[in-house]
This record gives sequence, structure tokens and C-alpha cells, in this order.
Amino acid sequence: MHLPFRKALAPSILAILAVGLPGCASYGVKNPSGVPVTEMRADERGFVAGTGIESQDLVAVTDKMSRSILAIPQIANAQGTPRIVLDPVNNETRFPINKDMFLDRIRIALNTKARGKVLFLARGHMAVLEHERELKQSGQVTSTTNPNVVEFKGADYFLTGKLEGLTTRTAQGTSDYILYSFELIDARTSDIVWEDSAEIKKQGLDDASYR
Amino acid sequence: MRLWLVWGSLGACVLLSGCATTERMADWPRTGDPLIDGQTAIAHAPARDKPLWEDRTAAVAMRRGQYDLAKSLLDDVLLTIGGISAKDPNARKARSLFHGEARKTFHGEPYERVMAYYYRGILYWMDGQPDNARACFRSGEIEDSDTENRRYAGDYALLDYLDGFATAKLGGDGSDAFNRAQREARLTRFPPYDPRANVLVFAEYGNGPTKFATGEYMEQLRFQPGVSPDHAALLRVDHQVARLDPYDDLNFQAVTRGGRVMDYILGRKAVFKSTTDTAGTVALIGGAGLALTGNREAEEAGLGLIAAGLISKGLSALTTPAADVRAWNNLPEYLSFAAVRLPAGQYTATVEFLASSASTTASFSKTITITVTDPARDTVVFVSDKNQ
Repeated sequence: MHLPFRKALAPSILAILAVGLPGCASYGVKNPSGVPVTEMRADERGFVAGTGIESQDLVAVTDKMSRSILAIPQIANAQGTPRIVLDPVNNETRFPINKDMFLDRIRIALNTKARGKVLFLARGHMAVLEHERELKQSGQVTSTTNPNVVEFKGADYFLTGKLEGLTTRTAQGTSDYILYSFELIDARTSDIVWEDSAEIKKQGLDDASYR
Repeated sequence: MRLWLVWGSLGACVLLSGCATTERMADWPRTGDPLIDGQTAIAHAPARDKPLWEDRTAAVAMRRGQYDLAKSLLDDVLLTIGGISAKDPNARKARSLFHGEARKTFHGEPYERVMAYYYRGILYWMDGQPDNARACFRSGEIEDSDTENRRYAGDYALLDYLDGFATAKLGGDGSDAFNRAQREARLTRFPPYDPRANVLVFAEYGNGPTKFATGEYMEQLRFQPGVSPDHAALLRVDHQVARLDPYDDLNFQAVTRGGRVMDYILGRKAVFKSTTDTAGTVALIGGAGLALTGNREAEEAGLGLIAAGLISKGLSALTTPAADVRAWNNLPEYLSFAAVRLPAGQYTATVEFLASSASTTASFSKTITITVTDPARDTVVFVSDKNQ
């Protein structure tokens, strides 16, 4: 290759790149790749706002609640074994969820870690249980105890909760703060004997191609 | 030899300029039934188009009363659009010079994302979960909240009305959401909540927007409003008449979002394509002129310029600024809602679609059966002028 060819080729390509590169598509766009979701402490100042309820939140929140419930005197020093009925959680966030998972996991954690300290009543299965009792009462199936004596236990406490959310969405991203609050209510007096909460805030920014 | 090279280069430049990416025709079998074809497309289409086909098929399933199918499709869509898409390789490609915007996984424009949440909210309410339905309506409003002009942010009046209604049904105070809905209502004022109303009728009619691209390189996304013969509806059931006037207009929602960040990126792609094309042309013409001078050194320099011009033309041809015009193309234009009280029983109801809210003659009507099994529980009915 002769020298003039080389001499002409390099500056020409450089000139074309100089003209063309400023046109690079994402040039000038802040965070064109977006910012991945970052889990933060609720009291930590975020750079924007977040996303939804995920498995790690469920685990963290229910672990905290089950530990907290076991520590209260009404449970730790109870005479006999307190019976608890689960009352569905009220979801007031913007995220559709399977609400039962929260109370189910708290129940499982309590049954696993503190077997015998509290018992949960299977109110969700009352129709089946009543049918079984009727079968026993009518003599269609055998019974080891007198089926005419009511043995279904009443609740000592109701465990329930509420999920509330705050959402912000701007050009800088989306932020979601969720407050998970749970309470144990004395079924006889309606006293709230225990209450605890957990907060999670998340934020993220979509890829520029979705903005 | 050099003459051949010069003219060959110019020919190649003309050919390269004409290069265009064309969408490969989908090669799965079609039956003409949108439900079957939609499910086939979900199984065979590129992964990036799956949410699009799920959206379209879910709408068909809703109109055919196949709510379980609609639920599973919408749940999958919401998993895609509900997350944060940062570091998505397809999204990165969509921003790159050499891929079109349609390279990204389909999420849809805000009005499409809102509709995925809206439909899923109806289905949650149908399943006796008004709080999860409310969650969907709230998420829908959030999807609409990032408009260029804040005046149009989160302005789906019906979503706010339903948010408040679900709250009232759950024993809460829905007045904030109700007041917000009344402020946003552009088409029809809302009636006050009747928490004892146990039959909730969600109606939709008309044809929603579609998309097209304009600009020299089809880099500008535009919306084509759908045409709707009907602008109101009436529900007649058990000697009651409930108005199903439109509360939200998807055509209006599509065009009031404003500019996107992606429009800016596509604009820069178009500039790059145009600039490299022009620079290539200049280099080729200049190079050809030099190559034909007869002076050996000038000829060599000319060949260098031609080579650079070809590279530039090649870059231009490969640059793809085309906007993504994939659209959820079977959406309605108008969303409506009515709540009535009915005791337990089975009812034959008529929905009359009207040219305007002042019309007394229905352009056509549909007969539906409403079965109230438990008056204490909400019975949710979905009606579309496209019901099949």
C-alpha cells in the first residue's frame, strides 16, 4: 500500500468518527442502563424510590415478628397454652400479594421455634371439621371421644396485620416504602397486647429504553 | 483496475444505503382464532415479544370469559413490567446504534401497562380480593405517573374511583380517592359510592390506540387513535337501568404521555445515521474525484477516501433508529363501570351500546347472564363490545 493511501485513510476515518460519534445514541442520557434495585435500610436516605414485596422481605419481616411475639409476657409467662387465630392481613399497598403468606410464615416460625408455647386454631378448616364432627355424631364414623361434647377451642388471641405503602415515581426512578405492622389482640378484652412493625424501602430506575 | 474500484465502490454505496432491517414474518401456524393463535404465538414468538402476545391474548380471554387463562397470562406480564429493568441486555441492545427499539422486551407504553394492571384488578375483585384489586389499580396509576407534562400524570379517573370504592367496601374511607377521581373525570362525573352495591359491572367499548412511526428513519413514535362508533352504554337488569358512561379514554391517555427518554436516544441514532451517510457520500465523491485525476499520489489518496467513505456508509446502513411500534392492538377506547344491588338469583341483563350518552337508540346490544350466589359477596361482571 502506498503512503498517500495510508495518509488519506486514517484522517478520513478519524474525521468520520469525529462527526459520527457525538451521535452515539445514549450520549447525554443519565444512567442509560438504569440502576439496579438496591435494598436499603428504611432510615437510609435513598437516591429515588423502589419496587415491590419480595421473598426476602417476607422472611425478614416474619422472622422479626415471630421473635417479637415470643418475648412478650402474655406468651412467655402464660398459664397454659395460649390459642391464637389468624385474621387476614389487610393489604393497603399498591402490590397485589398473597397476604396469607405473612401470617402462615409467622405461624410456621412460632410452631417451629417455640413448639408448645402457643397453639394456632385451624379456623380456615372449620367447615371440614364441623362435617367430620357431624359424621361422628351421626355414628357414620367412629370416635374416640364423645362427639357431642364441643371440643373446638376458642381463641385467646387474634393475630393480624396491615401492609401500607408509599410510592414515588419521577424521572429519577421509582421508590416504594412499605410499612408492615402486626398486632396480637386479646379476644376477651380486645386489648392489643403486642404490636410490632418493620419497614422496607426500595428504589430503582428502569433502563432508558423503557423511560 | 482503479476505475473499476471507484465505480464498484460507488455501486456498493448505493446498495448499502438501501439496506434496511426487515422483521422476519412469524412462522407459526395460524387458525384465525385469536385465542388459539395468541397462545401459539406465546409459545413460538421471540422471548422479547412474549409479554405482547400475553397482553393481547389476555384481552381475548377476558372477553370470552376464560378468566383463569387471563389471570395466568396477566400475572406473567406483571412479573415482567412490575420489575426494574436495569441491566437488561435486550434493553441495552435497543439503545445501541445497530438494533431497533423493538429489540427490547415488550413492556408497552404506560397506557398499555396500565391496562394489564386494570384487567388483573378486575380479576382479583372477581376472586373476592378487593384489596389486591385496589393494589392493581394503584399500580396502574403509578405506571401513568411519569408523564412529560405533570398535568396528565396518574390521571385515570376510573382507577382512582375504584381505589376508593374498594377501600369503602373494605370498611375504610375512600373519600380521598373519590375526590381525586372527580377532579380527574373529563368525560363523566362519578356517582357516589354505594358500598351495599353487590354487582360490579366493568364495561369497555370502542377501539383503542395503535402505534406508527414517522421521521426519515421511522425514529419517531406516534399514536393512531382508534375509532369508536359507540360512546356510551346502558345496563338493564331486574327493572334497573345503570349508566355505563365512559370514564377514561385510552386514546387520550396514549397521546398525553409526552416525550420519552427513548425518543431522545432514537433521535441521536437518526443523527448518527444521517451524519455517517452524508460523510460517506462526501468521502466517496471526493475520493472518486481524486482517484480519476491521473496523478498517482492523488489516486492513492482518493482510494483511501473511498475506503473511509464505504466504512461510513456501512455504519450508516447498519444504524437502526426505528421506534418500537409493537402495540397491544386489541384494547378498547373507553373504560366504564357501574355498581348495582341485586338479590341472590340469576338475571338476564342487557347492555346497550349507544352512539352518545344522549342517544336513546342502541346501535347494538348484548345479552349477558348475571348470577348472584351470595349477595353479601361482590359479583363482578366484565362486559366488552368485543365479547365473544
